[in-house]
Parts: sequence; C-alpha cells; structure tokens
Amino acid sequence: MPTRNAQTWREPPKGLRQGEWIDSRIYSDSEIFEEELSKVWKKCWIAVCHESELPEPYDFRTMTIAREPVIVTRGPDKKVRAFLNVCPHRGNMIEMRPSGSFKEGTPSGNPKHMTCMFHAWQFDMKGNCAYISREKEGYQDRLSRKDVGLRKLKCEVYFGGFVWVCLDDEMDMSVAEWGGQAFDCLQKAVDEEPLEVFHYHKAIIPCNYKLWHDTNSEFYHDYLHYHNRITGFNDEYFARKNSSYDNGHVVVGSFKVRYDQYKGFDSRADVSFPHMEENAWYMIDMFPGINFNLRGSALRCDLMTPLGPNEVMIEFRGLGLKSDTPEQREARIEHHNSIWGPFGRNLHEDLIAVSGQGGAMHEMAEPRRILHGRHENHTIHDEVGMRHFYDTWGKMMNRLPSDPTKPYAPPPDDLELEEPVARTA
Amino acid sequence: MSWKRICSLGDLQQDGLRQFDVDGIPIVLARFDDEVRAIPPACPHMEEPLAQSGLCSGGMLTCTKHLWQWDLRTGEERGDAEKPLLMYDVKLEGDDVHVFVEHELEYEYEEEDDDDD
Repeated sequence: MPTRNAQTWREPPKGLRQGEWIDSRIYSDSEIFEEELSKVWKKCWIAVCHESELPEPYDFRTMTIAREPVIVTRGPDKKVRAFLNVCPHRGNMIEMRPSGSFKEGTPSGNPKHMTCMFHAWQFDMKGNCAYISREKEGYQDRLSRKDVGLRKLKCEVYFGGFVWVCLDDEMDMSVAEWGGQAFDCLQKAVDEEPLEVFHYHKAIIPCNYKLWHDTNSEFYHDYLHYHNRITGFNDEYFARKNSSYDNGHVVVGSFKVRYDQYKGFDSRADVSFPHMEENAWYMIDMFPGINFNLRGSALRCDLMTPLGPNEVMIEFRGLGLKSDTPEQREARIEHHNSIWGPFGRNLHEDLIAVSGQGGAMHEMAEPRRILHGRHENHTIHDEVGMRHFYDTWGKMMNRLPSDPTKPYAPPPDDLELEEPVARTA
Repeated sequence: MSWKRICSLGDLQQDGLRQFDVDGIPIVLARFDDEVRAIPPACPHMEEPLAQSGLCSGGMLTCTKHLWQWDLRTGEERGDAEKPLLMYDVKLEGDDVHVFVEHELEYEYEEEDDDDD
C-alpha cells in the first residue's frame, strides 16, 4: 500500500463517509474544549461519587464539574445534597479538603457547619447561611442571611447509590429519565442491596477526555489486552452487541468470560453480583464520560473530570456489596485489582494507549482524521458506539464532528446509528 | 440519676474548664475561686465545644468563637450572648465536687428547612 503525502494524508480515505471519521481538532482545540464545558458538561447529569463515601450525617466530598467547585454533603436527615463550593461573600472556595466530616468544628467554624475559613461565614448542611460574623455591626439590617445561602445544585442518588449532580437548573429529566434504558442491563444487579466503594485510585492523563470514553466504547482494542483475548475471543465474545440509547449512551452486551483460561485467574462465580449470571460482563457508557463495568463479582466505575483539551483526570472506583463478609470482600478486591487495579492486567494498558493518542493529538498538533468506520452488524468490534456518541456530541455542540468548523448535520440516512442493520460488503 | 461525685476540687485548675463523662452524659466543670459550675459542653450559640474554645476569667465565661459571654455565678448572658447557660446543681462536700444529674441538659438549636425539599 502506498504511503501518503501531506495532502492525501489530510483527506479521508476513499470509501468512508461523513460520520465514519472525525476531525482530531475536537480532541485538541482549546476553543472547542471550553465550549464543551458549557454546552455539554454543564448540561448533563454527572456522577460525582458514591453515597458510601459519605456514609454519616455531616460527611462531605468535594469535586469539580466543568471547573466549578462542587461540594456534596449528607445532612442530619441523611439526605445527600450538592452545592457550589463557593462562599457567597467573597467567592472563596469554602471547603478545600477532598472529603471529611463537618461534625467537629474547624478553627474558625462550629460543629455541624461548613465554614468559609476566610471570614468565618457558616452554612448548614441544607445550604442555609447560619452565621455571618459581626453581622449587625457590618450590615445593620440591610442584609438578611436568608438572601446569602449557598447555590444549591440538582442532585440525585441513583443507580446503585451513585451521586449525580447537574449544574443546569433547566435540566428537565431525572437521572432515570436521562439514562433511560441504558441502565436496564445492570439495574437489578446494583439496586438489590447497598453497594460500597472498596477501591479508589486516579490517573491524570495527557489526553482528551473523549479518547478515554472512546476506549470504553469500542472493543476492537482488545488486541491491546492479552488477558481479554485469552479469556474472550470466542464465538460468544464476537456475537455480543453494542446498543445505542437516547442522550448519547451506549451499552455493550454480556458474554461469559473464561477466567480459567488465564493462568492465576479463576471463576468469579462465588461472589457474583445479585441477578448476574456467573462470570458475566456488562459495560454501560454514559454520555459524556461516565462508565460502569461489571465483571461478575466487582463493579468498576470511571468518572472523568476534563482538565484541558489534552488532560483528563479519571477516578477509578471498585465497588462490592456492603453486606460482604471479610472473605467475600477479599475475593472481590482480588478479582478487581488483578484486572483493574494499578498493577492489574487491563487498566494501565488502556492508559498507555490513550496517552499515545494524546501525545499525537496535543493542542498544537495538525488536524487529521480519526476513523470510526467499522461496521460489523453492531457486534463487539463495530464502532457504532463511538458514532452514536459523536452524533449526540455534534447535536449538543452544534458542530460537525468530521469538520468542527461547520454546524451539525445528520450523517447519511443509511449510516447506521440507532437500529442494527446488516451491512453487506 | 442523682448527686454524683465527679472529682476533687484540686482536679480543677483555677479558671479552668474540664469535660467529664457522667454515665454517658457529657458535662463541663468550670472553676473560679473555690466555686464550681456544671454546664453542658456545647455553646448555646452554635454548639462550639466550650471545654476547648471557652475562656474563664474572674467568674466570666467567654466562648472565643463568637464572643458570647456569661456570668458563671448565675449563668446569665453578658456581652453578645443571646441565651443564658443551662446549669446542673453543684455542691462541694469538703474537697469533693458533686453534681446533680437527672437528665442531659441540651440547648435547642435553630434548624432551617430546605426551600424545595
């Protein structure tokens, strides 16, 4: 096959059509990135943590969504709420710790309150302003505490106890409605009984967040994973399907993983999640960057925080059942870590691959085409999941993924996105 | 519950505050001169632990967080304080400090509701 010169390198390969490639600038352009924060990340439901990370009243967890500091608290009524982690007085970030409890006081604040360390304004777990230092002296009767409460955010605990936050007050769907049927394949497994986070680590990777989501949305890259080929790559593996759902979500169907074919691994059947067939496997990719992956005995969740056009923080959580005995938990942790821990057989391989993409698609890189054109009747190596994601992305951004300088236009009618259609060569 | 011996007078420092657990009820003893007062551990303002943030001087108790003050002799509010102290009865028998504990004394704190829950 001939190599290409500068001009032919920039052109899409003959035979592929709009919707079957995208322009690499959507992974590297800083203007597009800023636009994504406001048009996508501030508009969608974003899973930010799990409720087991703040089990007691007055526990909290902090994070950012689209650079906005967010705090999630559990009230004395046990209810989980989310607020902007910003003091209404002078705009300071109120709580700087990643997690903790407000049950005890802080040097400038009282027990059971969030306190801005700067001027000691205090807020209760419902976001009400409870104290303004030297209030009467400074404001006389001109300012009421009722008018300087925190900015409350839409917040739900849903799908196995995950905490979801939406920065957009106009969001008119619940998490259940927004995720729709994408949740169905794992709903019974994660909602039968309370879950608990047993593993957390994070990676800050020099790549665009969508490259990580792409990797979770296509399995053609199992060529990267020796373990996955040895334990998969059979008729059942190749037969499973990608299903696309409203709002950009994708589900990858199940198959039975043959753990016994990999030395040192064995069946996960003894500690299967409720309602799961033994050694089953499911993946849910939620738009714009939330991922649930259940390998029989352990649930993995990837939550992404885009940090820049070519930088993403990915938080990895492993979850088991809260009711686990110590022995069950130990088995789950081993199952989880041997595949998904920092030294497991899977995760770092993906991280190396997307780091390589980020190295070639950094902010100053020249634009090029990224191919998403595999069609295999929606089965596992079909790239329909990414095509579906980018169609939703294009609509929300009003940009054409294959040429982001142009407004969104739907792909050709016969380019399968929603309905599985057999494609003849 | 009834009169309970808590400690000796000598266990309490002059102008000192010290917290005791009396059968599961937390009680703070404040000493000034040779007098002792027994109060709940939290400030009536915003639940500040007084054994840590309180300052005793000349029979006056000051919560250093927001400068609420009380006259320890009577528990009456002084300065910025807007609520009096709750107090347990205390008696000294020789060197022994006894406190009458019938049930836990607790302040009522305002709790505002969500606007939309």
